[in-house]
Amino acid sequence: MPHIEFNKITKDYGAVNVIRDLDLAVEDGHFTVLLGTSGCGKTTLLRMTAGLETITGGELTIGNQRMNEVHPRDRDIAMVFQNYALYPTMSVRENIGFSLEVAKMSKGETAKKVNEAAAVLNLTDFLDRYPRELSGGQRQRVAMGRAMVREASVFLFDEPLSNLDAKLRAHMRLEIRQLHDRLKTTTLYVTHDQIEAMTMADKIVLMKDGKIEQSGSPDDLYDRPATKYVADFIGSPAINFIHGTIEAENGTPVFASVDIRYPLAPDCAAQPGQAVICGLRPSDLEIAVTGDISATVMLAEKTGAEQNLHLKAGEQHLIVVADRAVPAPTGQSVDVRINTDRIHLFDAMTEQRI
Amino acid sequence: MHVTEKKFSRFVSSDHPLPWLAPLLAMLVTFTIYPLIYNIWLSFHEYAPFKRRLEFVGWDNWSTLIGDDRFWASMGVTLLYFAVVLTIELILGLALALLLDSEDFGFGFLRGLLTMTLVVPPAITGMMFLLMEDPEFGVITYVLETLGILSSTQPILASPSTALMGVMLADIWQWTPFMVLIFIAGLRSLPQEPYEAAMLDGASGWQIFRRITLPLLSKVIAVAVLIRGIDLFRMFDYVFVMTSGGPGTATYTVSLYAWQQTFSFIKWGYGATISLVTLLVIIFIANLFIYLAKVRW
Repeated sequence: MPHIEFNKITKDYGAVNVIRDLDLAVEDGHFTVLLGTSGCGKTTLLRMTAGLETITGGELTIGNQRMNEVHPRDRDIAMVFQNYALYPTMSVRENIGFSLEVAKMSKGETAKKVNEAAAVLNLTDFLDRYPRELSGGQRQRVAMGRAMVREASVFLFDEPLSNLDAKLRAHMRLEIRQLHDRLKTTTLYVTHDQIEAMTMADKIVLMKDGKIEQSGSPDDLYDRPATKYVADFIGSPAINFIHGTIEAENGTPVFASVDIRYPLAPDCAAQPGQAVICGLRPSDLEIAVTGDISATVMLAEKTGAEQNLHLKAGEQHLIVVADRAVPAPTGQSVDVRINTDRIHLFDAMTEQRI
Repeated sequence: MHVTEKKFSRFVSSDHPLPWLAPLLAMLVTFTIYPLIYNIWLSFHEYAPFKRRLEFVGWDNWSTLIGDDRFWASMGVTLLYFAVVLTIELILGLALALLLDSEDFGFGFLRGLLTMTLVVPPAITGMMFLLMEDPEFGVITYVLETLGILSSTQPILASPSTALMGVMLADIWQWTPFMVLIFIAGLRSLPQEPYEAAMLDGASGWQIFRRITLPLLSKVIAVAVLIRGIDLFRMFDYVFVMTSGGPGTATYTVSLYAWQQTFSFIKWGYGATISLVTLLVIIFIANLFIYLAKVRW
């Protein structure tokens, strides 16, 4: 059952159109991530959900109730802001308990809930401190605590981890996801970080220029990207793109570029003569004794267990993820094998998946 | 943090600081330190008109002051004036600032309009209110009489019970906009996010004002109160123009009393003593306020 529904949502700032006719259903109890580059409209969509931005056109419903004109305070939404938006003149205890205080909850009840949240978030020792006396990670947890005690029907996160260092970010990803698994609150989470989206989401909504490019499970977006843009956005290191055309050879279609020729599956929908872009994920390529592409090693980047090999096949630049045991000194010739099942073909004109 | 500190200290430090400090030091010594020391010295002397010179009188001025009912009455008037006007200007200023803090069309014009009172010299403001509170043809008198607040037999500035209020009116009219300007500047500098968070937390407008705006604005309020408070304590122009301290001593402020003793009665030493006591009271009240309001500079 969808909990939040966006029906033909449009947002204009004066003459500038940010979001046009956007339709989206956010399932009840799911963790939905809005993903996109800055300026794609994801934060605007989130703020419209919270009621912090007006909706120019269309209808927003939460729990089947129209929300367009409802004041933020009456939407039963908890939000974690990018810069945390803590109340600077209140202690951690007051920050977390503020929503309960304004809801006129009894002192004892408030203290109990605040202490519970603080215990979960490891903030018990910091309850009497002020936001200015906390580190970034601690502030982030206070912001989380403030949302937790609300027991709101919807959680909104606006890039909550972007101000943290890499290690803490990975840790908080886990904590937020575990929190969600425990509370099962419908969550909308905005980020520009595809790893955050892939690791946390039940459903990813990838946005571009105020429109939804593709939405689906992380696996959907990774395995069956609907457009070249999606294929490029999801996955690290980034997917390899090779421009070429489809040729027919003995009745089977063949992908042909300047430097690479490779037979495709017979049931491939691409037509002979069609200009295409072939997407090959670095992890779907393999260094082999005899392969489909001959290339030269330009650079080997060690990432720990693996290495990213930057190769050159003629003029074509390729990245291959290989085991670190594979010897690949710069300048060496190697053969690359393609995993046929995992070729992504896009029309060169429309950039849509074929 | 460390880097800026280092930069800052390099900016303010010099191998030869004296030439840089000299101009400021000279100004301070000439216009502040020397007059203060001279004032203290003067409070132990008195002008002898027939000998045409200052004579040492020891603690005479100070003991006279302690037993001077006129002085204590004027101190009472000043404190009352200070407390009432400061409270009204503070509350009214804050209310107006909250109302005028808007980006909607016309509000910029209104804010500009408000600053107009500040360009009027206080003595002129005093004259304006003197005329407006005139028992015969004053507009304020007329309005108050029409509303039944004031009886027609009671001239505002000539009745002991209303004269000080009449003077306060001029002060409030002229200086509330000053508070408004400072508060608007303060409101403009507040972060926006806590307000959004508070809205989502379910806080009402009043709760947001009391728990978010007021605490965030406290330093700005403290500065405004301090500046206006010190100013109010040495108020002179309005009473000088409007009532000359009358009727009786109903509007006699400390500044007016010090001025009268010094320049009308040529009691320079006594005038100096009064102004020194005023200074001490201001320093005491200001520091008490800074301590109580927990202002950290």
